[in-house]
Amino acid sequence: MKKQLIFSVALLISAFANANDQYLEAMQKNIMIVYTSKSSDEIQQAVNSLDRIGGAEKTKWEPYYYASFGYVMLANREEDGAKKDQWLDAAAAALEKAKAINPDDSELTSMEGFIHMIRVTVDPAARGQQYAGLAFQAFSKAVQQNPENPRALALLAQMQYGTAQFFGSPVTEACGTLTKAIEKFDTYKSENPLAPQWGKEMAVRLQAQCK
Amino acid sequence: MKVILLAIATLVIGLPGFSQIQINGVVKDNNGEVLPGANIFIDGTYDGASSDVEGKFSFKTSEQGVKTLVVKVIGFKEYKQQISLSKNINLSVQLQEEINQLEAVTISAGSFTASDEARRTVFKAVDIATTAGATADIAGALNTLPGTQKVGESGRLFVRGGDGNEAKTFIDGILVLDAYSPSAPNTPSRGRFLPFMFKGTSFSTGGYSAEYGQALSSALVLDSKDQETLTRTDIGIMSVGADVAHTQAWARGSLAGKIQYTNIRPYFGLINQEIDWRTPPAAIEGSSAFRHEVGKTGMVKFYGNFNHSDFSIYNHDIDDYSIRQLYDLTNDYRYVNGFYKTELNKNWSLRGGGSYTLLKNQVALDDINMVEEERGIHSKGVIEGSLANGIELKTGVEIIDRDYRASIDTTTQSLTFHELISASFAEIDIYASNRFVTRAGVRLEHHSLRNEFYLDPRISLAYKPGSAGQFSLAYGKFRQSVKNEYLRWNDQLKQEQADHYILNYQLIENNRTFRAELYYKKYNNLVRIQDNEVTNTGHGYAKGFELFWRDNKTFRKVDYWISYSFLDTKRTYLDFPSSTTPSFASKHNFSAVYKHFISDLKSQLGFTYSWTSGRPYNNPNEVGFMTARTPAYHDFKFQLELPA
Repeated sequence: MKKQLIFSVALLISAFANANDQYLEAMQKNIMIVYTSKSSDEIQQAVNSLDRIGGAEKTKWEPYYYASFGYVMLANREEDGAKKDQWLDAAAAALEKAKAINPDDSELTSMEGFIHMIRVTVDPAARGQQYAGLAFQAFSKAVQQNPENPRALALLAQMQYGTAQFFGSPVTEACGTLTKAIEKFDTYKSENPLAPQWGKEMAVRLQAQCK
Repeated sequence: MKVILLAIATLVIGLPGFSQIQINGVVKDNNGEVLPGANIFIDGTYDGASSDVEGKFSFKTSEQGVKTLVVKVIGFKEYKQQISLSKNINLSVQLQEEINQLEAVTISAGSFTASDEARRTVFKAVDIATTAGATADIAGALNTLPGTQKVGESGRLFVRGGDGNEAKTFIDGILVLDAYSPSAPNTPSRGRFLPFMFKGTSFSTGGYSAEYGQALSSALVLDSKDQETLTRTDIGIMSVGADVAHTQAWARGSLAGKIQYTNIRPYFGLINQEIDWRTPPAAIEGSSAFRHEVGKTGMVKFYGNFNHSDFSIYNHDIDDYSIRQLYDLTNDYRYVNGFYKTELNKNWSLRGGGSYTLLKNQVALDDINMVEEERGIHSKGVIEGSLANGIELKTGVEIIDRDYRASIDTTTQSLTFHELISASFAEIDIYASNRFVTRAGVRLEHHSLRNEFYLDPRISLAYKPGSAGQFSLAYGKFRQSVKNEYLRWNDQLKQEQADHYILNYQLIENNRTFRAELYYKKYNNLVRIQDNEVTNTGHGYAKGFELFWRDNKTFRKVDYWISYSFLDTKRTYLDFPSSTTPSFASKHNFSAVYKHFISDLKSQLGFTYSWTSGRPYNNPNEVGFMTARTPAYHDFKFQLELPA
């Protein structure tokens, strides 16, 4: 009887582990696609899968976070401003769901700023002031929430760089933030196997301009 | 015991391959077009798929029993269906389009909407400041759009054969009784309002909403900014004066004020004007704006403006230059505007406000003194919201109360009138789909002077056959009180009337815009002066077409637009002996605006070229009335904006 109970408990545990593996496996596969794919159709499919996973795993913020990231990637490759905005709306909606599960997280706040930053590109002359301001606010907040987060630092550096360039002022502050960001990319480790990894390439590219 | 264990095992392992069910199908929109990229899944599970380029999908699931199938695509309403998972399923799903006001067809007949927020706009708020020659004057920038006729010596907006007073300005929906600074005869005036105060403008050259009354030809609707985010002080020094502005911003509100003194005298000393000023214009002007958030979704705004200006000028007799007459004007202007808006619930919102205007002109013609004073109150409340998906309603009430008094010191008689206009309006937008919208509105007005009711219908349709191009049609009846200078003689004069018919085509794609518009406007009840009697028997028409092209795509860092307007208009009004083209109407108007952003210098270079064909005037030496034509008007303006 005792044996049987142990057996059934073990079975249950393995089933949970199994479910968790299934989650991790499905997530990793789709995260890889949103990070690397060059095909909009593929990204759309991955985003759909992430959305499904989010619907099934009610306590996990990562599926909606990466769905949001995928939508931003789709927005990035879109030429038409109105469609770009539509993708960004979807990105913001997915991010809201992630925030409802995991409020005040530096990664999510960074993503919020990232969406604002891409909004500017739709019409820099008309939107620059408003959305650049919002992006700035979000990145600063993200750095406050977690000063170790390399993405928050790298994105903040990018905004600082753009602003300095626009006003013709020195880019020292931006490059300082960037150096810190690149350090953190190398040292920052999260216990979460699904923690965001992106952004280093962008930071390194910007660093080339600092020299 | 074994049985229980087996049951547990079955439950937790889920037995893959036990009885997987295949779900196949196709996703289409309500026009039968296939939808690729849709997300189809069993609610709450990983099981699902995306539709392919043919809208087809296929996936397997081990779920059993009755489950909910969900289908999602951006731009469409989420679709849910109960399915029983006992055998393979084949589905055809039809999705209902979501009415998306940012993407949907818009009523474009007659209107140029400028907003930094909206996505497909022809003209942006920032354009007003960066158009060469507009020098941040709202009318100056709008004069480069089709539908306007440049009248260089006036500086006002003249729209489609309409007189300058037929174009009215509204701030946050509230009427501005006198939107221009006073100017001497034959010198241009500037708008009283700075474009930087506004986040959006909508300039309509006809067929506008039933919300706007007392405007025969055009409605310029300015939306003031909700929030200033920066505390700042600006000090400006110009060739003709100086100004100081300060904005104080806090978490939920802001207060801004500006005081400006202008004196053109030193400038006129430098550049000889062929105008014989006794005292060139000098003005002191102040404005202040207050904004504060109220409650969760409410916002209160106040705006006030005062202006005191004076000048005097000698007008010389046309036949004998040595005979001159002094014209001396002192103008006082006060304007306050209060505005409140709030969301009532998810679907409905309320906005309303009022304004008070005081306008006082003291005019001296040699030794005759005249005092003219007008006090106006406008008050309005509007409720708008959505009755159902794709059905929007806007309805409201307003009153306009104007008290006018003029007296001349040569007589004891004073000329007065007191007019009260009460109006209500309702307008409904019905989206049959994202491609087809109908707007139907009516406006009911009561006028105290004649104690009469008027009902004015306005209707517009818009149809978007493809993704970018659209057709729009509009009809409307418009009216406004005759000018004060006539109403004060005869307060029983009827309202002047106009019927607008507009056909518009607009294509916005890839940062390029093309617009073509055809219109016909019929005037009735215009003021007629015959044998010293002022009546309403005048009439007239205006018809024409307009073209507009804007492109900020083809050439890197270059944004340019070109507009052309053709106008044919005649009126039998005032003391005209016959149907004649009035002196403010020009047949051809052409404008080209070019802006080039130089990133190395962070500067913008721009020019504006305008050409206006000759306007009619009456030459008493010639046979016939108004048969003479002025030379064509060319205007080239250059602007270089440098970073501070």
